[in-house]
Amino acid sequence: MDLADRTVGFVLLLFSVSLFSYYTFWVIITPFVDSDHFVHGFFPAREYAILIPAFAGVTLLSLIMIFVGVVLLRSGKSKSKTA
Amino acid sequence: MKHVWKLGTIITTLVVLWLALLTSSGLPSTLSAIVPYLPIYAVVALGCYGLAMVGYGLMVFPTCPTEAIQLQQDIAEAKVFLASHGIDVNHSSD
Repeated sequence: MDLADRTVGFVLLLFSVSLFSYYTFWVIITPFVDSDHFVHGFFPAREYAILIPAFAGVTLLSLIMIFVGVVLLRSGKSKSKTA
Repeated sequence: MKHVWKLGTIITTLVVLWLALLTSSGLPSTLSAIVPYLPIYAVVALGCYGLAMVGYGLMVFPTCPTEAIQLQQDIAEAKVFLASHGIDVNHSSD
């Protein structure tokens, strides 16, 4: 239990740090590299640096809103049942 | 309320700086390729920072297992003591 929590924390930390390094390298550093360098093969086209985070953000926000809506609906139902 | 103004000032300054960078001409082509991506880069960086802080907090979350065992022992001891004095604590919480 305790170890599992720590493992989850470590995985979260590792994931966010690697994501940040990859994104930084992609957005900030690749424009300074020559366009025929092999490093460009590791990164998708530059438009996706905006498209993917935007889609991810919209999806996340929608899921949060759906969750809030479901919770509100449920609490309203249980309240009307008890009243 | 002071904190809100401080945050607002910082954000406004950053936005103005970014707009100035966006509209200014004569930047090197590499820099002008980066500038439009800065806002979403800031969002991604903030999200990564939040996720990393959650992960780090989960990693170093302090637990005291020996104290937990001692507390359970104390509870059992107190239950026995109270039961010997005619107080039933097991069924009173229902």
